Amino acid sequence: MKDYKTLTTREMFALVTLLVGIKFADTTPALLAQKGQNAFWMIPIISFLIIFPSFLLLIYLLKRYKDKNLVELLEKVLGRFFGKSLGFLLFILAYATLIFDSRNYVEQIKLLYYPQSPTLIISIVFMAVIFFCAKRGFEVIGFTSWIGLPLIKFAVFLLAALIFKEAVWNRIFPIFGSGVQVIVMEGVKNSSIFLEFFLLTIAYTAFKDTKFFRRGSYFGGLFVIFEIILFFLLYTVIFDYNSIDKIAFPFHEITQYINFGDYFTNIETFFMVFWLFAGFMRFIILLYLITWIFGAVFNINEFEPLLFPFAFLALMIGVIPENAIVNELIIRDLLLDISTPLFVLFPFILWIVALCKGELKKT
Amino acid sequence: MKRMICISLLLMFLTGCYDKVELEQQSYNVAIGVDQTDKEGTYEFTFQITNPEVGTTSGGGSDEEPNETVTTNGSDILTAMNTVNSFVSKRMTLDHTKVIVISEELARSGDFLQIIQAASRTTQIRRATQIVVSKESAAEFLNNIKPKMETRTHKYFQYMITRATQTGIIPDASVHRFFQITEGDADLFLAIYATNEHEEKKGEGYEDQYVAGEIPQEGGSDTQFMGSAVFKEGKMIDTLDGQDTRIAHVLDYTLDMDELLSTYPDPIRPEYRVAADYIQKTPAEVEIQYNKNKPTKIDVTVSFQIEVLAIPSLVNYSQNSAHQELLRKAIITDLESKANKLIKKTQEEYGSDPFYWSLFIRDQFIDVPAYEEADWNKKIYPNADITVSFNLKRLAFGKMLNDTNLSEVRD
Repeated sequence: MKDYKTLTTREMFALVTLLVGIKFADTTPALLAQKGQNAFWMIPIISFLIIFPSFLLLIYLLKRYKDKNLVELLEKVLGRFFGKSLGFLLFILAYATLIFDSRNYVEQIKLLYYPQSPTLIISIVFMAVIFFCAKRGFEVIGFTSWIGLPLIKFAVFLLAALIFKEAVWNRIFPIFGSGVQVIVMEGVKNSSIFLEFFLLTIAYTAFKDTKFFRRGSYFGGLFVIFEIILFFLLYTVIFDYNSIDKIAFPFHEITQYINFGDYFTNIETFFMVFWLFAGFMRFIILLYLITWIFGAVFNINEFEPLLFPFAFLALMIGVIPENAIVNELIIRDLLLDISTPLFVLFPFILWIVALCKGELKKT
Repeated sequence: MKRMICISLLLMFLTGCYDKVELEQQSYNVAIGVDQTDKEGTYEFTFQITNPEVGTTSGGGSDEEPNETVTTNGSDILTAMNTVNSFVSKRMTLDHTKVIVISEELARSGDFLQIIQAASRTTQIRRATQIVVSKESAAEFLNNIKPKMETRTHKYFQYMITRATQTGIIPDASVHRFFQITEGDADLFLAIYATNEHEEKKGEGYEDQYVAGEIPQEGGSDTQFMGSAVFKEGKMIDTLDGQDTRIAHVLDYTLDMDELLSTYPDPIRPEYRVAADYIQKTPAEVEIQYNKNKPTKIDVTVSFQIEVLAIPSLVNYSQNSAHQELLRKAIITDLESKANKLIKKTQEEYGSDPFYWSLFIRDQFIDVPAYEEADWNKKIYPNADITVSFNLKRLAFGKMLNDTNLSEVRD
């Protein structure tokens, strides 16, 4: 890492928004709608309520143990062995997320925009772009996020405004979709759709001041949840409960549906540019953070050369699943279910251990 | 050395344009027709390909036809599209498809759902594509469309349908809406009804009491878009004339309509009719009181305004308040009787509603299983107790204070 740190709240805000906020534009809504039907927009609220206390607790711990990042904190609290093991476990889960999510994106790009191109080639190009950008370092990623954010969000809200007139608001009823129980269960099980919040804490000390990190993550978190709920709601009222679970890419379905007046029809390519940009940013951040965690776990200070092998490995494993449906509905669903308890619980474990050790008492 | 590596890496991208298609090598399909054949599972597909050169100022191939219509057999749209390439020289794309035309015969057979499902799997067919049911076979329909002014076929369909939808005589029948309603399995879907075959209706018909093909017409294009085809569970069961389609627009809050010029009986001189512009600023208000064991009560209130355009009988309605009151009543009674007639028909004959009213009962159920069990189109709607009331908010008379007094003129 470079010695001077220039990142502030606004970069953190951009990082959170891009890393988590793009979830409404991939297959996450399709995944959640399978069980939640027309109330699937409530699932992220529940997930958020489940995961946010854990995240706040983690932030609290980071604040108490000044100037430590995620892995250093784990080591400090749990001891060398357990700390590193837990760090490694987090790394594995996050990396699996990267692999299957990236495949998912490749699949979307192929299906929607480049039907003739082989998946492998798209994967290679995709990973190459991510690798080269991630190589630039965290500061550049932060700045790029901040610069790109207004463009991306402009496109997104333009889309929301254009589609608004198609919405039939009565479709949010029956209000609890497939049943209160199902919604709550799904919300809890899929909490890890927000797991990126935890990964960002590896960069806790990379900001000009740690308070910028905290502030950025609160604002970013609130903005993201608002954005996700807004779009999930829009999907519900546009597609209705019987169709929403059949549509794999509701975001693209919407971009294909709208027109800009009578003259500008078929305008989805306009949105595709921003969507691709956002997608790239997400994976650049993700790849960088994951490699960082790995580096921290294995005491590799110069971890940036590892970006290449990790990108390559992600590419190779990513092309294994046969098709997008297997990837999405089986593997990713399973992955989300597995990672949820870990991510929700580990800050509590840390907190309890720290409390028992009496380290939280001294100011 | 580094520069060389960079350059050679960049060379790699030159080979990789897998999806590159030259504009020259594509042909744009604007309409797809689907017909039945004798063999089950095989359909006749008609593609209407537009010629982008026509109507451009750059000239060039001005002698060419504005479009090419080809027909072939196949089991689904995409494979048929490939077969067509044995006699169409370019790669066909469906991205600009504006309408899917199905013959009434196919629509009534109920196979349409399978065909359109298969089509929606590809990203090429847009959800905004309109569904048109033609009285004759779809191939015949598409072959005989000869617009006189708007020779570019894609613009013809776009403007024709946009305009006719604005007047409410045909419904908005996008593929998107078809799926919402058909998969929702509660209400009826209305598709656009059109034909080239003319068969004049016997007896009197007012301005919108026609279905396509019945409108007396001289000159212009033979193609008439009028009325709607009623689909229940993906299968066509009946047609509605333009007037009923307009009523459906009035009662359905998801359908928009800009203009409804219509005539109403003249209460004082019944041999004449009063022409007026019907303006509806707010959608119909539907209130449903769901009763599990006795008929559900549905109250519909429509608030509207009337601007009188012509009074051929020259009766003084604008200044005589007693006359005005009569006219008010006549208009309301006329609308209510039309609406009630249509509702009665849908309850008794169709067993479901084309107004998307099931939306309004959904908030009375806590979750989807409860809602589905209550069964809108089998149990609730056919037995419901429905009252429609029209509420005339404003009666205006345009810019003339009074009409010419005929007896004074002819004095």
